[in-house]
Amino acid sequence: MEYSGVFLAVLNESGVSDVLPPLCGLNSLAERLPRTLIALVGTRTEAFLAHFVPDSFSTSLPRPRGAHGSRVVTIVLEPGETPTQGNIAERLIEASAGFGGIDSVLLIAGSSAALIGVDPAFEAKIATRRLDLPVRAVTPDPGASAALSTDLEDRALATILDLCPHSRGSPVVIDPDSPPPAKRRGRLGGLLERGRSEVQDRTRRRRPVVLLGAAGSGTRAGLSEALTKAGVEVAGSVPGAGTKELPALGEGTVVAVADPYLASAARAAEKRGAKVVETLMPIGVDGTARFIQDVSAEAGQEASELLRVRSAWEDLGPLRNRIRGKRIFLAGDTGLEIPLARFLIDAGAVVLEVGAPRLERKLLKAEIRTLSAHVDVVESPDPKGQMGRIAATRPDIVVASPGLYTPLVARGHLCRSSLDFLGAGIHGYEGARRILELFISTFERAEALDSVRL
Amino acid sequence: MRLLRGIYEGPGSHGSLRVATGTKDVHAVLRGLPGEGYFPALFGALVRTGEPARVSLSPMVKASEGSRVPRNPGRDLEEVIRRHPDTAAVLFVRSDAALLSGEKVPDVTLPRSPRTAQEVKLVTCGWEEAGMGEHEAADLALESLVRAHAAAGEKSPRPTVNLFGPPVFSPGAEAEMEEAERLLSLIGVGVNARLPLGASVEDFSRLPRAWANILLYREVGDAATLYLQGEFGTPRVTTPMIGSAGTGAALRAVGELCEISAEEVQRVVWSELSRKAELPWYARLASPEAIRGRRVAIFGDFTYAVGLGYTIAKEVGLEVGPCGTYLKHLEQDFLFHAHTFTDEAFIADDPDEVAARLENSNPDIIIGTYLEEEVADSLGVPFLPLCPPIVRPRFVEQPLMGYAGSASLADFLDGALRRVGERWKRQERRLPWAGEALEDLERIPAHLRSKTRRLAEERARSLGSEEVSCKILEESRL
Repeated sequence: MEYSGVFLAVLNESGVSDVLPPLCGLNSLAERLPRTLIALVGTRTEAFLAHFVPDSFSTSLPRPRGAHGSRVVTIVLEPGETPTQGNIAERLIEASAGFGGIDSVLLIAGSSAALIGVDPAFEAKIATRRLDLPVRAVTPDPGASAALSTDLEDRALATILDLCPHSRGSPVVIDPDSPPPAKRRGRLGGLLERGRSEVQDRTRRRRPVVLLGAAGSGTRAGLSEALTKAGVEVAGSVPGAGTKELPALGEGTVVAVADPYLASAARAAEKRGAKVVETLMPIGVDGTARFIQDVSAEAGQEASELLRVRSAWEDLGPLRNRIRGKRIFLAGDTGLEIPLARFLIDAGAVVLEVGAPRLERKLLKAEIRTLSAHVDVVESPDPKGQMGRIAATRPDIVVASPGLYTPLVARGHLCRSSLDFLGAGIHGYEGARRILELFISTFERAEALDSVRL
Repeated sequence: MRLLRGIYEGPGSHGSLRVATGTKDVHAVLRGLPGEGYFPALFGALVRTGEPARVSLSPMVKASEGSRVPRNPGRDLEEVIRRHPDTAAVLFVRSDAALLSGEKVPDVTLPRSPRTAQEVKLVTCGWEEAGMGEHEAADLALESLVRAHAAAGEKSPRPTVNLFGPPVFSPGAEAEMEEAERLLSLIGVGVNARLPLGASVEDFSRLPRAWANILLYREVGDAATLYLQGEFGTPRVTTPMIGSAGTGAALRAVGELCEISAEEVQRVVWSELSRKAELPWYARLASPEAIRGRRVAIFGDFTYAVGLGYTIAKEVGLEVGPCGTYLKHLEQDFLFHAHTFTDEAFIADDPDEVAARLENSNPDIIIGTYLEEEVADSLGVPFLPLCPPIVRPRFVEQPLMGYAGSASLADFLDGALRRVGERWKRQERRLPWAGEALEDLERIPAHLRSKTRRLAEERARSLGSEEVSCKILEESRL
């Protein structure tokens, strides 16, 4: 892969990466979709993955317990019993009676459901008619050879996009009075200009923006506010507060993807005719700035984040001093690893290796172009190989997948769980601070513990 | 097909992996979909040895061109021997998805160990079937490993026993084994092998040397000890070593089989009762009013549910109401034992059915699995998570078995009974419900009903209403 004349090496280790199964994210998904009932249909294995396994990672994956418990139910299939058509729909109707205030249902079909002969799309259709609520089936990708722990959220959001009303295609508004953007100079100006040449000659068409992802934290509101401030019309976000609040989607809509693992959702938006912006993820300072500028440009509004970038980096000064020169090994399983690496390098850290169980090349095109050519990117890393390289390079901190976390801590490595970054609110300028704080709090705690004479 | 809010047992493959990964040198190969490869992560989270789980996934996917991911289970098995040269045996396990897809047991001969040049046995599980529960599979997997390796030999010159304890992930598994071993050493009996946790293939091969097998956790070990009894004539002790009575009975049975004098065993029992076991002391010191009329509801596996039920009813004098298990394949045995201390023994594996039984019995304390915590919370009664499965085990392992376990139990019960007293002081008057509101309440899942009722009554009180109406119920659920 080439960037600025230097080749970035992506090594495919073809290992069976250490990844928490996507179904473990069922309860987190329910938390991110506040008015949706989540129904899982599958065998004992899938029920076990959804209910028992996540609770064992209590510090990283809190089990949401609202006033009426979690909005997650499971329809457990018995092998050897082929369910009659409509039976699952009946169970869904029965289940939804127990929950107040729901406005949609997602029927998550485990891989075994298809093997047993369940047609989830058909069941969802029947349930939609009888419940008078939108019910949609979410099926895992049967062809996926490598999973990310965040795949369930990706597939669920891809399905929810189907519930967005169709936009009629916004009228193109030419704004001939707007002055052309001033040419930027200096290091930051140059960085922010990267990849923008293709938008220079674009006519300024005003198009509404739909924010995809950045759920589960307060940072989505911050991103939305920053875009609005730049003069962009933010039509809404997916997921939203509820089905009725979902924005219109279709030709003329610009979709701004905020999480690097939402590849299926991005493809679903494109299928609806929306334009998915190819840009950096709004993670870290420069990533956020590029995101806002490129999304604004696609929406027909030129924006400059130069001043904001300067002040953001100035604010982060004391934190950067703490992270500068630290050697970091990223061995996560969420898909956030590439943008995190890019930001950490910008902040002055030394990234030794980025392990990515699956590399979404299309969505990460801009990220990969921007990543330093001196970073080793390993696709489908083999956990044993990762442990060997960690032992050999002795990083200052490892962002570790759940299966590597405890063994690495036991071997004396300082670790941060990859799952800690999912709900921490890492998007936008404020999120950049939180990312650095996640690392620095780990360093500080380790230093405090190391100072105790045992 | 059933609508469940949670699940008590994992799939059969999970049980087999729990057995294999707890051993020293058995490597497990799980044939399944990439999304089923959760085990190493779970092992990493729950086992703090720092060693990765000895399990490899043989993914059911087509490998891409040039990929080193093996394409079939046969090549995966060979790869395991190459990459893990200290492996002495391999257990081949199929997931539910693999079984439903018709994946067969591979017919391969493993290469010799590159480290020891010894033969590496491939142990397959021909008995696997989709839908089998975790405990039944764990029991059969352990039996398969024992059958594959146990070799006839002379009995040990001094009395020794094999300890069949809980597998990896069982709360306090290691501590239970250590307590049992401590007590056996006091009566002069050595341990020939501890399994499955910490056992090596060498341990499996010399099992027949022991004078008896002690089944601490019959859910996993029943089939293996029956096999050893049938094949090598090794007798077994099955009394749950829970509570002072259970522990004493188990020690007396072992003493008899190992030709230790009854007086010697009794001397140890008395010594332990005076120094270690606190439960009999607690039962005698607590005022009758603190105990009388207090009902305990218990739900869990076989060993802990029966052992705790018997101890609490007979040794402490609390009333045991409903006592159930989710292990349907042990139904007859469970009901037989549970009926010795309660008339409300039951079998159920639907958490809502369990919740309804517990709620209807109006218990003062609930002892259960991770799924009963929500029921106790909604009823506002103390909860003791003492029956597996438990998702957040105590950070420091403590035994519940033996005399040390009896002391822990005294502490747990004392804390819970104190909270019962506080609850009685706080209890508020129940409000009447309008007929239609009551019908709506009945439609709510059982495990949520109690909490819903409480929230609706709280809202009615805050509004100054004398009755809970449909409107108040609906508002309280938003």
